[in-house]
Amino acid sequence: MKLVRNLLWLVACVMLLVSAPAAFAQEKTGSKAGFTLKPGTVRIVLMRPTIRVGSQSAGGVITPNAEWSANAREYIAKALKAQQDKLGNVVVDYDEGVTKDGAVVTQYSNLFGALADSVIEYQFFPGNRLPTKKRKGSFEWSLGNGLANLDSLKGADYALFINTYDGYGSAGRKMLQLFAAMGGISVISGVHWGHAGLIDLKTGELVWLNADRQMGGDLRTEDGAVKRVEQLLKGFPGQAAPAAPAAAPAAPAAASTATEASK
Amino acid sequence: MMKNAFAAVCAVSLLSAGAASANSLVAPGAHSGVAKSSIATTSTGEWNKLSRTDGPGVEVWTRDGDSLNKVSFFGGIGGGLPIYRERNKKEAPLPKVTANMLLPDIPVLLESTYRSQYQVNKFSLESQDIVTIEGKQAIRFTYSFVRSDDEVERKGEAIGSIVKGKLFMVTYEAPAIYFFDKDLQDFRKMAETLKF
Amino acid sequence: MSFCRRFSAVLPGIAALALAGAAHAVEPAAPVLPTYTAAYQPQTKDERGIWMEADEDERVLRDSVLLMRDEGLNAYVRQVLCREVGEDRCRSVRLYIVEVPQFNASMAPNGTMRVWTGLLLRVQNEAELASVLGHEFAHFELRHSLAGIKARRDAASLAAWIGVLSAGAANIGTGGAGNGSTLQLAVLGNYFKFSREQETAADLLGLQYMAKSPYDPAAASQIWQSIMAEADARSVARGLKPGREYKAAFFGTHPPSPERAAYLKAEADKLGKRGELRAQEYREAIRPFLPRLLAAQIRSNDFGGSEYLLQTLSATEGWTGDLLFARGELFRQRGNPRDLVTAADLFRDAIAKGYANPEAHRELGLSLMRGGQEADGKAALREYLKLKPDANDGNVIKMLVGS
Ligand SMILES: [Zn+2]
Repeated sequence: MKLVRNLLWLVACVMLLVSAPAAFAQEKTGSKAGFTLKPGTVRIVLMRPTIRVGSQSAGGVITPNAEWSANAREYIAKALKAQQDKLGNVVVDYDEGVTKDGAVVTQYSNLFGALADSVIEYQFFPGNRLPTKKRKGSFEWSLGNGLANLDSLKGADYALFINTYDGYGSAGRKMLQLFAAMGGISVISGVHWGHAGLIDLKTGELVWLNADRQMGGDLRTEDGAVKRVEQLLKGFPGQAAPAAPAAAPAAPAAASTATEASK
Repeated sequence: MMKNAFAAVCAVSLLSAGAASANSLVAPGAHSGVAKSSIATTSTGEWNKLSRTDGPGVEVWTRDGDSLNKVSFFGGIGGGLPIYRERNKKEAPLPKVTANMLLPDIPVLLESTYRSQYQVNKFSLESQDIVTIEGKQAIRFTYSFVRSDDEVERKGEAIGSIVKGKLFMVTYEAPAIYFFDKDLQDFRKMAETLKF
Repeated sequence: MSFCRRFSAVLPGIAALALAGAAHAVEPAAPVLPTYTAAYQPQTKDERGIWMEADEDERVLRDSVLLMRDEGLNAYVRQVLCREVGEDRCRSVRLYIVEVPQFNASMAPNGTMRVWTGLLLRVQNEAELASVLGHEFAHFELRHSLAGIKARRDAASLAAWIGVLSAGAANIGTGGAGNGSTLQLAVLGNYFKFSREQETAADLLGLQYMAKSPYDPAAASQIWQSIMAEADARSVARGLKPGREYKAAFFGTHPPSPERAAYLKAEADKLGKRGELRAQEYREAIRPFLPRLLAAQIRSNDFGGSEYLLQTLSATEGWTGDLLFARGELFRQRGNPRDLVTAADLFRDAIAKGYANPEAHRELGLSLMRGGQEADGKAALREYLKLKPDANDGNVIKMLVGS
């Protein structure tokens, strides 16, 4: 149908327009001033990743999809396992064991999500950066030192939190994006949030964070999950050597835009 | 059909307009005209004033972002108005300020607003007391709540009063873990120097 | 069923209504209740994935701050489920009560059943609660969350899209930025959207449970009727057209609720069985939690829906102190001059009926004072302070009394 084809074409154009400026405007990684980690010196606990995948309605509401989430969880777990021993330090999965830390750890995990998102919004995004976060080299974020008291984290030096939250735009959402662009506003179709953050368990400080609201890698596929995990752990502190040059040469943003547009 | 779509797009433009200018630094010291109103206070330490507004009579200060610490100034919300801009007037209208509200009605208004606006399904009012601001009585209350979108437990402390039929209020809210205590003293100092 | 899908994020307060439906050709009398195979284990890779996901959700749910952990309440709701589906089936369920004031319940394929507190406030008796829980269990027994996994996701038509757009416009631009993480959103919701056929199948199997249970099958239709009536009352009070909540939202891809209520009634009649409603028992069991459930409803800024609910709740035991108090609060919060008069009358009524909660005097006093009746108002507030000398708002009330 001609109308549909035209619409699709327009949608593609709009997606280019909308995503282009966002692609270079935003920082995606940060670390505490002077923070370094030597390989083979510390023990890192990988907290249970929070993984949600759903579809985004025209109204922007994301309805989680169990099948996609289940696949993503499996693929990400696999990709993380593959990365785990390349991270330079011992990385073990979190285990609540016989402690009753579950509820508290869940609160910390929720709080980490809010913290990471705050870093994206108020530090990584220059147009919206808080004046107090603008000072040169400043990266001061913390969860407080309460984690140090948890029995289930005894003996560990750092906690690695990982969240992904993906909503794949429905046809309706993509059309809305088109209409909105005609009115001169940008509406993003699809949400692809990802956070990977390292917390120093003694101080609670966020010493390293990779975070973005438009991450690459389609979590509904195994390859996509590998790509996402690579992006999440890119530049992870304490890696021995700048590990074997990651598969494809950079510029993932441009690449994914092109792929979307050509559909 | 097209008319609907057009209206919706207009709604979108209205909503996203106004989120343009940058956040600004709030230096330590005396500030007046807060929330475009008669609110004045003296702050210790630096804060950031968000360019985003949640309503015409609201100003938000933060240190680390409004989901981590948030001081909201409500600068004289008149009778018949909600304290925030309504997200969905038809389906999820907000309660309105009334000129004859009594001090104990203020926390109830806040709770009811949060339940509608932020999907707060759990809210508890913990303490209430009377304080005096420039010789005028105000209610000081503490509370805790959970928003369903992030399930982070947050605590709040607020001072509110009805002056000439309008609601003046300052709230401080932050996650119960770490953040609430971190800036509480600075908020209290602001509260002590508050003028409505 | 509409319990089976979350969209309160779009239209808080209407939650369940929209998906209501499953009409079409309903086959005559469903077959007899099949024997239940307990402890089903996932067979395929897809199934294992979904199970794992449900396990992870349950882990998060178990640690959620929104969980109602009261053992008595949990045991009671479970007991209603067990009477409905029988002990065998009941054993495969782990039940959780979540503090969300909307009408909803759901069940995941690993046996996790979620019941929202808004459901507990809305059902009138055990039979209605049983019918909802039974319907959810039927989805579980029929393994619906797995059946349609491959071929779902129908493309939205342009017409549907325009509908979504106008309905959702008010939410656009508020999501994303500045609202913190929404990672946990899913925890309260339900992943599984069922087809119309699955809804019908779950309704029919649900009725089969009811037929074997002590409960009255007519309750299945009744709950839908009151949910629709509540939605209408809410719409009317907000100056909107009645029926829009459950008709407009899903644009005919799901037939409106009235049809569902009708075929549930027809099917129940065919069973030719009358059973128990156990309304009084339900009221007794919920009583300790009623003030909390009512307070959440009253503060949801939904005058019409709340008023409807209170009227319905008064049907079983008449106007109890709890209900009078809540209704007084409802009017006091709306706060028009005549509302304050009504509120004061309601609080006086509650007190006259022996409602022991000192707050009744507080609320009476505040209503009177706000309505300009200073002397009577102060007297009521003094009474409150006398009854509750260590009230956490003592100083505020003392200030109003002027002492
Ligand atoms: Zn159903």
